[in-house]
Amino acid sequence: MLKDITIGQYFGGESFIHRLDPRNKIIMTALLMAAVFVSSGFAGYGVIALFLIICYMISGIPFRMILKSIKPIIPIIVFTSILNLFFIKEGDILFEWRFIAITDSGVRFAFFLVARIFCLVVGASLITYTTKPMELTDGIESLFGPLKRIKFPVHEVAMMMTIALRFVPTLIEETDKIMSAQKARGASLDTGGLVKRVKALIPVLIPLFISAFRRAHDLAVAMECRCYNGGEGRTKMKKLRFGFIDIIGAFAMIMLIAGIVVLNILGVV
Amino acid sequence: MYDGQESAAVDNVTISISQGEYVAVLGRNGSGKSTLAKHFNVILLPDSGTVVVDNMTTSDDGLIFDIRRTVGMVFQNPDNQIVATVVEDDVAFAPENLGIPPSEIRERVDGALKSVGMYEFRKHAPHQLSGGQKQRVAIAGVLAMQSKCIVFDEASSMLDPKGRRELTATIKKLNQDGATVINITHFMDEAIEADRVIVMDKGRVLLDGTPRDIFADRKLLEDAGLDLPQAAALADCLRQDGLDIKSGVLTADELVEEIICLL
Ligand SMILES: Nc1ncnc2c1ncn2[C@@H]1O[C@H](COP(=O)(O)OP(=O)(O)OP(=O)(O)O)[C@@H](O)[C@H]1O
Ligand SMILES: [Mg+2]
Repeated sequence: MLKDITIGQYFGGESFIHRLDPRNKIIMTALLMAAVFVSSGFAGYGVIALFLIICYMISGIPFRMILKSIKPIIPIIVFTSILNLFFIKEGDILFEWRFIAITDSGVRFAFFLVARIFCLVVGASLITYTTKPMELTDGIESLFGPLKRIKFPVHEVAMMMTIALRFVPTLIEETDKIMSAQKARGASLDTGGLVKRVKALIPVLIPLFISAFRRAHDLAVAMECRCYNGGEGRTKMKKLRFGFIDIIGAFAMIMLIAGIVVLNILGVV
Repeated sequence: MYDGQESAAVDNVTISISQGEYVAVLGRNGSGKSTLAKHFNVILLPDSGTVVVDNMTTSDDGLIFDIRRTVGMVFQNPDNQIVATVVEDDVAFAPENLGIPPSEIRERVDGALKSVGMYEFRKHAPHQLSGGQKQRVAIAGVLAMQSKCIVFDEASSMLDPKGRRELTATIKKLNQDGATVINITHFMDEAIEADRVIVMDKGRVLLDGTPRDIFADRKLLEDAGLDLPQAAALADCLRQDGLDIKSGVLTADELVEEIICLL
């Protein structure tokens, strides 16, 4: 059951989007987020949604993956949209019952909020589906490289992210193993009230932490044995390359932003 | 001497391993083999005495990087040695650290993966591989360093018999290509492949010699908690049953020859 957790799991492929430079994809994702926040009308969100759908179609990521990435945030979406529906008091009242009043601008806000969260999550998932974690960290390391000048440990942060990504599946597997081992000794992990269940997790967490520290120590030794010495003087086997397809991708993104801005200026709702 | 431990884990060891040698290190659990190995590439520093690698003293801070690129080390648990999320990126880790140009790293990585038979898995994530496959990746990761000396610390413990034979063959080939090899193992059949066997017990060197000399003394071996290699053990049994088999038989081939002579 724990194995189902996907943290930005990479979905292999060779599509146009897969082949974009990760740095370009990071910037494009940031721009997409900006577009999502700038957009102020239904038309704008329609354009962004269309753009995202086309991107998913190009990338060959099945649409059920979209559902999968949205599923965990459904409670948040529901909660915030209900808050918006009930607590925005401006505008014309559409529906009234005792102290509850739903106004047209409340509906508008709630819809925009949902649309925003949707576009953000779906857009951010696209980059993690189409980019190998390693490329992503390489991209981040390269993009934020200039921050090294102000002594920001860019390489170290990227390395930490790589190692975390590498060990997430290992630790999940280990948690499964420890849980089975405790169950075999008669522990009941899935029954009883909340307090009882949380208590039952302690004998799972303690061995997990101990083993994680042991792994960390072993890994540090193994990395030292392989001459790891920080980022200085390191080369990369896979050089990131900003190619022709990246220009096309960047152009598409710029067109999207321009479109949204134009829609805003024209005041299309 | 580890903190909180009463006696030194490795004590009074004086050995010298020359360039190009193939040494197997044997000894029961806790006899200090791994501790000794960790002194070879400055993971540990001796409390007293010195370790010299390729004319470099390990206590010299300035030489740590050079010593580590001279002595590669493969450990027992591959899960804790693999750094990257893709096999080929992991094998590239050491050459990247050494600052080697990208095209040469590519060559080294492909070569190392082919020599452990993992080339077709180069795009896989480590957690999609079996324990033995991960171990091969870890070995490839050290091979790609192309260091003059490689230490295997129970690197074969996760492999199946076929995988172990292949590793033994890989080690042999590395050695023939000029690398110094130190293989710490619990498998006697691996040890007989070496030019020299060192047996450790309680942190000291108990025996040091050619496999033929070491495995001749069954009594002493048993005191050190070790077995004879399979063929040698069988020869011993046959001899005790009154067959006329000369002592010093080590490999299956030699045993077969002896038995054919008898027929
Ligand atoms: N980190 C440590 N802290 C304290 N004592 C240690 C530590 N590592 C090893 N020891 C002790 O040092 C001694 C030698 O351990 P070492 O790991 O070198 O044995 P080994 O010969 O490699 O055994 P094995 O065959 O099990 O790998 C043991 O008595 C062990 O308890
Ligand atoms: Mg050991």
